[in-house]
Amino acid sequence: MSLQTDKREFNERTTDGIGNPFMRNAVSSAQDSLKTRRLSAATTLGDWEQWRTLGQQIRQHTLKHLDYYLGQLADNIEKKGGHIYFAKTKEEASGYIRDIIVQKNAKKIVKSKSMVTEEIEMNHVLMEAGCELTETDLGEYILQMDDWDPPSHIVAPALHKDRTQIQSVFTEKLGYTGDESPENLARFARTVLRQKFLEADVGITGCNFAVANLGAINLVTNEGNGDLTAAIPKTHIAVMGMERIVPTLEEMEVLDNLLCRSAVGQKLTSYISVIGPSAAGETDGPEDFHLVVVDNGRSEILGSEFNEALQCIRCGACLNVCPVYRHIGGHAYGSIYPGPIGAVITPLLGGYDDYKELPFASSLCAACTDVCPVKIPLHEQLILHRQNIVKEKRTGAAERLQMKTAGRLLASQALFGKALRLANPASRLISRHGRIVRGPQLVRGWINARDLSQPVRQQDSFRAWLDKRKGGSGQ
Amino acid sequence: MTASNKDSFLNLIASKLGRERIYDVQRPGLQVLAPDSYGSLTSDELIDILKEQCFFIHTQVIESNAEILQQTLDDLVAANGGGAVITSGDARFAEYGLKFANASVWEEAAGREQNILRSEAANTAIIFADYALAESGTVVVGSRPDQGRALHFLPAHYIAVIEKKRIVLRSTQAAADLNRRIQAGEPLGSSINFISGPSNSADIEMQLVVGVHGPLRAAYVLI
Repeated sequence: MSLQTDKREFNERTTDGIGNPFMRNAVSSAQDSLKTRRLSAATTLGDWEQWRTLGQQIRQHTLKHLDYYLGQLADNIEKKGGHIYFAKTKEEASGYIRDIIVQKNAKKIVKSKSMVTEEIEMNHVLMEAGCELTETDLGEYILQMDDWDPPSHIVAPALHKDRTQIQSVFTEKLGYTGDESPENLARFARTVLRQKFLEADVGITGCNFAVANLGAINLVTNEGNGDLTAAIPKTHIAVMGMERIVPTLEEMEVLDNLLCRSAVGQKLTSYISVIGPSAAGETDGPEDFHLVVVDNGRSEILGSEFNEALQCIRCGACLNVCPVYRHIGGHAYGSIYPGPIGAVITPLLGGYDDYKELPFASSLCAACTDVCPVKIPLHEQLILHRQNIVKEKRTGAAERLQMKTAGRLLASQALFGKALRLANPASRLISRHGRIVRGPQLVRGWINARDLSQPVRQQDSFRAWLDKRKGGSGQ
Repeated sequence: MTASNKDSFLNLIASKLGRERIYDVQRPGLQVLAPDSYGSLTSDELIDILKEQCFFIHTQVIESNAEILQQTLDDLVAANGGGAVITSGDARFAEYGLKFANASVWEEAAGREQNILRSEAANTAIIFADYALAESGTVVVGSRPDQGRALHFLPAHYIAVIEKKRIVLRSTQAAADLNRRIQAGEPLGSSINFISGPSNSADIEMQLVVGVHGPLRAAYVLI
């Protein structure tokens, strides 16, 4: 998988999403349950707004001194006998990982969930090198077994699938003979994957936060697959986006509390681990530990008007409240990072050429900004993107013309008054029974899903009525 | 051991931040934001908070004491269906005079493969917690030569013995204490695990399944 999950036009992707009732049902019920859980977990933390401010301060402090903390991390990892590799591009990152694997002649790889490894197209590179790679997070494993179906949510990747679909994937691909109960499906995956853990040569994980003064990485999970990946194989390769770092365990603790509550409404997830290269006398954990720090476009964001997007801790809370995500689903974004945060960072990492529509996939209701545990002004960043896209004349010619016309009309009182008077006669040809039924692109988008009343006749308008009232009362 | 491309990478970051590289940063102090509702708590109140949270995370809590600890643990092992037991090599097993039938110990001498196979074959793991966090129902354990990482994840059932004096309110206190130890140069193990109940997943239709890759069930024994 790469950053881009679907090369089709944005309109085709959203039409697909809107026309998929199962997906929409699954997404809306997941959103509702995650929203409620997040809210109750946030309430029990006391003054949630103060916690958010603290989270924001920690992220901003770390970003402002990122070179210092990454340097400290590198020194501490080296001291513990680990390796750290700084990769400017995705090719450098996945190439380094491939070289380790080839050098060790490793064939079997277990992996725990990591978005950044998708971004650097690591799976593809390793499979091309002849490795057997297994995703061990239950959701990711289901997607892998379904011929690498793309993830649709950053925390719950298989959110768009129901139990019947999962049962049939397991039956077809793995010879599963049980029923469709989630317990039995999960128990079956446990048995299959347990063997994979025991046989693996190399384990690959992501990294929620690196801890600079400790020279270790923090993994936040519920299933325990991340820990088995880092415990059993003799080699552990962890991959992190360069901004995912905290100074000490104390800052990590604050952010993990915000992350667990915002992502899944838990006080803490079942497993929060801080791990590094195996220490003297310890018999499991990696003998060989590598941390790959990935830039891949992030340094271009650093210090720019989008700097705050780098505060993201990948909790997915903004997806869970987004009305647009609710209807079009994760796949419609065409990126491994969907939802409001995806609409902000995907164009930054992948460019406007492929992703210029995403910042417009928002109602700007700001629900995302309100829930963000580290206070990223998401909707404001979407507006910044829109301004850039318009400035660069990347919107369609028809849309530009419509906007220009609207701009002229709205800027002049005389023209606007005239337009109001003409609106009713002008819309007669495109209206039926008081509803507009045809029109240019902007109108079409609306009337595909909703009614648009035909403008009333001038003499029936509110203004005419008010003028009459004023006259009648002698003012 | 090695750090590749470090300077060019970090120089670029500094230039994007509009300055030269920096080599000394004062970390700002963190405001402690314990929920107001807690106030100051007695040991019994902490235990009540722990018990209530454990109900929500599907973890059994049993109050025991040093005298009957062996019996409590034997009962739990039997309730798990008996079978092989693996324990850490913690000195407290000897201090409390604990012995189990059909048991093995995670030990440096056994080596990687043997320790992993023993854990995989065990039906129950028993360990002592370094800290316990009341608010989140968490035990904190570190890796050591006599207590590997996989010990907490491979066995089908997990029992953590918690000495009551080790219960603190929440993760804030444990993180602060651990960080104090790191800054004092105390060598900690290569893995610090905050474990809150059994493994679980909601990846299928958001329905909670308890017991995925790690233990299927977890129990805490308070002494």
